[in-house]
Amino acid sequence: MAVCVAVIAKENYPLYIRSVPTESELQFHYMVHTSLDVVDEKVSAMGKALVDQRELYLGLLYPTEDYKVYGYVTNSKVKFVMVVDSSNAALRDNEIRSMFRKLHNSYTDVMCNPFYTPGDRIQSRCACACRGGPAGRGSCSESK
Amino acid sequence: MSVPDYMQCAEDHQTLLVVVQPVGIVSEENFFRIYKRICSVSQISVRDSQRALYIRYRHHYPPENNEWGDFQTHRKVVGLITITDCFSAKDWPQTFEKFHVQKERYGSTLYDSRLLVFGLQGEIAEQPRTDVAFYPSYEDCATVEKRIEDFIESLFIVLESKRLDRATDKSGDKIPLLCVPFEKKDFVGLDTDSRHYKKRCQGRMRKHVGDLCLQAGMLQDSLVHYHMAVELLRSVNDFLWLGAALEGLCSASVIYHYPGGTGGKSGARRSQGSSLPAEAANRHRPGAQEVLIDPGALSTSGINPDTSTEIGRAKNCLSPEDVIEKYKESISCYGKYKNAGVIELEACVKAVRVLAVQKRSMEASEFLQNAVYINLRQLSEEEKIQRYSILSELYELIGFHRKSAFFKRVAAMQCVAPSVSEPGWRACYKLLLETLPGYSLSLDPQDFNKGTHRGWAAVQMRLLHELVYASRRMGNPALSVRHLSFLLQTMLDFLSDQEKKDVTQSLENYTSKCPGTMEPITLPDGLTLPPVPFTKLPIVRCVKLLNLPASLRPQKMKSLLGQSVSAKSPFIYSPITAHNRGEERSKKIDFQWVQGDVCEVQLMVYNPMPFELRVENMGLLTSGVEFESLPAALSLPAESGLYPVTLVGVPQTTGTISVNGYHTTVFGVFSDCLLDSLPGVKTAGSSVEVVPALPRLQISTSLPRSAHSLQPSSGDEISTNVSVQLYNGETQHLVVKLENIGTEPLEKLEVTSKILTTKEKLYGAFLSWRLEETLAQFPLQPGKVATLTVSVKAKLDFSCQENLLQDLSDDGISVGGFPLCSPSRQVVRPRAESKPVHPAEGSRPGDPGQVKTLEAVLSFKYSGGPGHVEGYYRGLSLGLHAEVEPSVFFTRVSTLPATSTRQCHLLLDVFNPTEHELTVSARSNEELILHAGECQRMAIRVDKFNFENFPECPEEKGQFASAKQVEEERQEARGLEISNKLDIHWTIPSLKRTGEASVEGLLNQLVLGHLQLAPLLWDVLVDGQPCDREAAACRVGDPVRLEVRLTNRSLRSVGPFALSVVPFQDHQNGVHNYDLRHAVSFVGSGTFYLDKVPPSGQSACLGALLFLHTGDFFLRVRFQEDSPSKELPPSWFCLPSVHVRALEAQA
Repeated sequence: MAVCVAVIAKENYPLYIRSVPTESELQFHYMVHTSLDVVDEKVSAMGKALVDQRELYLGLLYPTEDYKVYGYVTNSKVKFVMVVDSSNAALRDNEIRSMFRKLHNSYTDVMCNPFYTPGDRIQSRCACACRGGPAGRGSCSESK
Repeated sequence: MSVPDYMQCAEDHQTLLVVVQPVGIVSEENFFRIYKRICSVSQISVRDSQRALYIRYRHHYPPENNEWGDFQTHRKVVGLITITDCFSAKDWPQTFEKFHVQKERYGSTLYDSRLLVFGLQGEIAEQPRTDVAFYPSYEDCATVEKRIEDFIESLFIVLESKRLDRATDKSGDKIPLLCVPFEKKDFVGLDTDSRHYKKRCQGRMRKHVGDLCLQAGMLQDSLVHYHMAVELLRSVNDFLWLGAALEGLCSASVIYHYPGGTGGKSGARRSQGSSLPAEAANRHRPGAQEVLIDPGALSTSGINPDTSTEIGRAKNCLSPEDVIEKYKESISCYGKYKNAGVIELEACVKAVRVLAVQKRSMEASEFLQNAVYINLRQLSEEEKIQRYSILSELYELIGFHRKSAFFKRVAAMQCVAPSVSEPGWRACYKLLLETLPGYSLSLDPQDFNKGTHRGWAAVQMRLLHELVYASRRMGNPALSVRHLSFLLQTMLDFLSDQEKKDVTQSLENYTSKCPGTMEPITLPDGLTLPPVPFTKLPIVRCVKLLNLPASLRPQKMKSLLGQSVSAKSPFIYSPITAHNRGEERSKKIDFQWVQGDVCEVQLMVYNPMPFELRVENMGLLTSGVEFESLPAALSLPAESGLYPVTLVGVPQTTGTISVNGYHTTVFGVFSDCLLDSLPGVKTAGSSVEVVPALPRLQISTSLPRSAHSLQPSSGDEISTNVSVQLYNGETQHLVVKLENIGTEPLEKLEVTSKILTTKEKLYGAFLSWRLEETLAQFPLQPGKVATLTVSVKAKLDFSCQENLLQDLSDDGISVGGFPLCSPSRQVVRPRAESKPVHPAEGSRPGDPGQVKTLEAVLSFKYSGGPGHVEGYYRGLSLGLHAEVEPSVFFTRVSTLPATSTRQCHLLLDVFNPTEHELTVSARSNEELILHAGECQRMAIRVDKFNFENFPECPEEKGQFASAKQVEEERQEARGLEISNKLDIHWTIPSLKRTGEASVEGLLNQLVLGHLQLAPLLWDVLVDGQPCDREAAACRVGDPVRLEVRLTNRSLRSVGPFALSVVPFQDHQNGVHNYDLRHAVSFVGSGTFYLDKVPPSGQSACLGALLFLHTGDFFLRVRFQEDSPSKELPPSWFCLPSVHVRALEAQA
């Protein structure tokens, strides 16, 4: 189960960020913000190497004492960052991948919304992916 | 070993550590001046070889670090330079003593030392000593560098001897065990003879020799030694030293691969023997490094001419990838020892620097991540700050700006941590400022105006709050106001309602002490904080320059209009230039403002705040023209919708004024908001021409003002409306007072009037005036008043509806008053029938007392002062609303021929529709008194009219479309002439109102035909006397000469005619006696012949009559039946009847 999920625009500003322990929200803001350095680095490295393969999943960006930060970047350079509790051993790479894929699908749904202006903040009625669980139970789309 | 040196880099392994310290009291300035000069000697080529020696100088070095000198020799202090002041010889021994004490601190490791004495002169200074140098002053010490070089050479000699000593000492039976301080107790009581122990000793010594070789400039040797040491130590699991050996190997390899250095700050290092200074300089340009790190280029291009090193490199030197691997291994080895934390940390830092050069940020970040978790002993606050700062710097180095900013901010927070006794707000603020780029925050609000905000608002807001707080604690309220304004302006969308309240609250608190200005604030370190205009408090959506009110608008004289039409394009419209024109128009507005007159600009604003917003001192910012802005204060309700605000000002000079923006004071912050930088502002242009001053006219009238406004279709805007009540035909005077309320003299005035389209037909001029008297008072100075009298005359149709009063019988008594004569009655008859067809068809049937409305606009054009010179004028319109009540009605008009053919009687049935008694008079006739609602007939004898100036051409009627109009005009003109002649007046004595009445509307073709003088004038002369109405007298028995004269005034020739004269007697009872053969006889023929008469010709024929009896005789002149002039209208042949009274012949 993720503790924080963020969708970050191509220009590196947050479109959507939500964390479960809401009291320490700022901490997650900082965490996700600094993780962008790694995302940038990975993307630029990948840009050279893997143009064709397009592996969207970036893997572990960096671990902190309590959390692990994972990244995912779409072809349009929209980034998804997910922070998970590092004590949660149930989350293996595959689970993280599937969560990202669900998040990506939700994001696609948002983009398909004709009332959504690309680049605006995404409003979501439910704190979806965070509650979705490792296997992405209760798939819940982010809607404007 | 507790104090980490975060500035370390791999190259430091090849340096000799020299400590430079002051002894006694040396001013910091002097010390550092010398220290700097010493530092410039950082690299020396040893005289007899190609080797180079690198020196690292420190002015402070903890002795406990020195204890690790055996572990890594570059940590060992091998040289000491002390600097001291000594002004008198008697202080000298004491000073020298201090030098020795200082030497003792690092005594165990020192190879050599020097004392630099400044200020001492005299015999002591004369003595040549190797370890002491004397200089007269800090200025006069040219040989310092030379001295240091000598000193370093002496260090080299010691180093070289030690190296040789250790290197050749292989076979020595007892190799001492080198160890780090914390190991010492572990080896107590260990079997020194075991193979394991010996290997350990060997390995450590080998590593030590490698260090020495590296320091002595023998890179290849050191590599060999390190490799051997690694193997030896690995076999005995001596991890700490294995780590050191591996790190040494890495360092040596790095030094080889990156002659440009990895430390960044350490300055250009010369690579061994071969590099050029220019190349070295290039290496420090960012970006140039990439060329350098290409290992392939290094190995193949043969930069280094020494082939032996090439071979050595191939054998021993690590590849760049291996370097990182070995660093990793080394660090993991160090990690096994808690006491080696500093070593591990430094190794991490060194590895990061290498990776930064290699542009391998990801791996570097892993090293850094590791470094973050290395737990040293309890750090002091200062060390923490240092640690975070260096982490930040390293992250910056590998391009992780956000991470760098994060750590810098942590460092900043550390500066002011609660545990710090003296919080360093200044340092904190400085560090916070440095984090701004990492959070992609610039302090220029202009950067935020481009579209929506893009950034990490939560994080940025936090940072701004911290900046505000730090600057406040620094004691710089201007700064905090600026930051807080910036926060409010740029983060407004992200602040919650409560936060908005809090922020504004604190902003108001700050500004009460230090109001926010528009001046850029320059910080001591050169950063400039641009001003923050509050363009969102309130938000302006629309800016519109307002035209002056209609009455004050300047207008260009017509004659000058031609030149203002631009001759840019010969086309009225062209799609090619359309776009351009649109743009031009959007900038310049096509109305003018007037110098000295208040102008208005309307802004649509709204308040985004959840509370009432007080905006003070809101005014316009303009350029181009001197402008006196009159600021306004407004209070906008919470979350208001669009709210119009009008800003006013007075242009003081002429020219083109552009409204650039507005200024406000909100929460004590002055803002100048420029329109160009406002997003989403709709503006219909911002430039307006200001024309020279014009006078201002105010009008007031004698009539009451009317609430009734004129129809909007009238076009002009009416400034004043007055109303008046009139009876039809009445004339009233409207006195218009013209007051010059401006500042310029009024020189010109033109008055025109326009009657608004009305269905009523109006006769005569509605408004008339005489301007000359008014103009005589000009020029009208400011404050003076002139008057103009305008006559208002309402003359509408006096005819009546058909259904009205038809019963007024034709043969009423009113006819009886006529002296003459019944026979023509048949002529009148058809008139009465045809009449109803005519009266104003437009007027609705109905109440005869119906009030009709007339509206007119009186336009005043005036000018004066400089504006007049420029050809501008102003217009002012006075709306006049007149309600016209009916006065008299002419219900029917008919004519009766009079005795004379040149005259006829006009019969008018006059009806009084008012509620008052009314008298009517015409042409000096006696007055006719009509009671309310009464109708009476009135007869007026009039001369027939000669309308010859309106040529009759009935044939044309069908040919021209406008013929009908021509005919109408003609009829109107006739009507006017008739009315003037009739001069009918009415009076309402009870109201003391008088007026005219006109028959214009009633006259139709038939009546006109009767009133018209026929083109053929027939005169009958009896005895040479024109005989028209009076009876001509003659004597019985005398022949009476009778002459019939025809004057042709028509346009064609007429005739010939044959006329016969028929005498008869009227018995006054309807019986005419034509049988007068016995009473009258003709002398000559009774028939007259007239020849053809050309236009405007005259013709006459003569005859004579002889009356045989006395009596009254009438002569009727008749046309013969065969007369060829059938086509001419019968009214043309209206010959008068001649009345002849035959008297008794005189005796």
